[in-house]
Amino acid sequence: MVLTLVGSPISTCTKRVVAVFLEKQVPFKFVPIDFTKGEHKAPAFMEKQPFGQVPYLDDDGYIIYESRAICRYIAEKYADQGTPLFPTDLKAKGLFEQAASIEQSNFDVYASKAAYEAVFKPNLGLVTDKSVVDSLIKQLEQKLDVYEQILSKQKYLAGDELTLADLFHLPYGALLPAVGSNAIQERPNVARWFNSLTERPSWKAVKDGIVVTA
Amino acid sequence: MVLKLYAAPQSTASLRVAQVLHENNVPFEFIPIDLRAKEQKQAQHTEKNPFGQVPYIDDDGFVLYESRAIGRYIALKYAGQGTAGLIPDQSDIKALALFEQAASSEFANFEVHAAKIAYEKLFKVRLGFPTNEEVVKGAIDQLNVKLDVYEGILAKQGYLAGRELTLADLYHIPFGTRLYRAGLGDLIDSRPNVAKWFNALLARPSWVAIKDGITSTA
Repeated sequence: MVLTLVGSPISTCTKRVVAVFLEKQVPFKFVPIDFTKGEHKAPAFMEKQPFGQVPYLDDDGYIIYESRAICRYIAEKYADQGTPLFPTDLKAKGLFEQAASIEQSNFDVYASKAAYEAVFKPNLGLVTDKSVVDSLIKQLEQKLDVYEQILSKQKYLAGDELTLADLFHLPYGALLPAVGSNAIQERPNVARWFNSLTERPSWKAVKDGIVVTA
Repeated sequence: MVLKLYAAPQSTASLRVAQVLHENNVPFEFIPIDLRAKEQKQAQHTEKNPFGQVPYIDDDGFVLYESRAIGRYIALKYAGQGTAGLIPDQSDIKALALFEQAASSEFANFEVHAAKIAYEKLFKVRLGFPTNEEVVKGAIDQLNVKLDVYEGILAKQGYLAGRELTLADLYHIPFGTRLYRAGLGDLIDSRPNVAKWFNALLARPSWVAIKDGITSTA
């Protein structure tokens, strides 16, 4: 049975997963959820994803949620095909986990909140608090200054090879211009790194919304 | 050469790593970093952890930072000793993915909110800054929603990734204990399954050994 991804065509976290499906050349069926109808809070949905969030993966009855966990599962299960996204050596794995943790605690924390405040709230008819956005971007910029240092010495965040940790940055990184921040492009090494990610066919295929491959 | 842990005795992230070292019976030398003196922002430290944070380890020249990454590295390297299965074996990719689901949830659904409470009600107060009660209320509201989900998950299984303890459970302890210090222990205590799970984690010798501060074991 083909893998089924239940998500939203415009959701950042759903795009994070689909980009990895494409990198690993894994066919999947996409089942879109309509946020405006509250489908993600319906009992049938929450039976599979108890936090009422998108996306989740159904692999022939085996359910996994949390986009980064789904990405890791796909990268592990299909390790032998498509782009290698995970190191196998112990120390390289440690450095990969370091990069993955950096993405969560030093990037996503600020970028996703800023995106919510500046981009999603207006879509929901709510008012953006600009002081919150400015504070988040200022903190993000301090972190990106460190990224600039790291990426001056190596090609990707975990070393010289692309890993999932780099790809995890795509959905919210790509939204920063819409938030009103040019922080990535203002830093030469960060820009070089991030632009190399957005140039990848897997990202180009999902950046404007999700299309099914299976 | 014995593993060196550069950390602060009571920093949440430092405690997270120290606990895994204890669980896997890994002797380590604790080198205290003085946060009040901002030692973590000095060149000698930022050369190893460019984000200017604690902790980092030096494992015979191999330097790693980010507490959750360090915990994973230790659990993988010392998989054959101490507590087994802190990360499920790679040969069982379904169990591994359920662990990743729980680990992702720990950060996105728990730490994000618990850390805000600890920062506002403990850290800022210690430094003489006013608590932003609105931020605290927002974080409490979110945690109530998330911990209701945890209550449901833990009604069906003993640990967050399934029947066995993993790093995903342990990683909740540092900020979980800070909720009690902030006077909000009821968030956990009012939920029977969550309380049972959390109290069992606190009773582990690895936590008892470090809860009042990290010390060298080598």
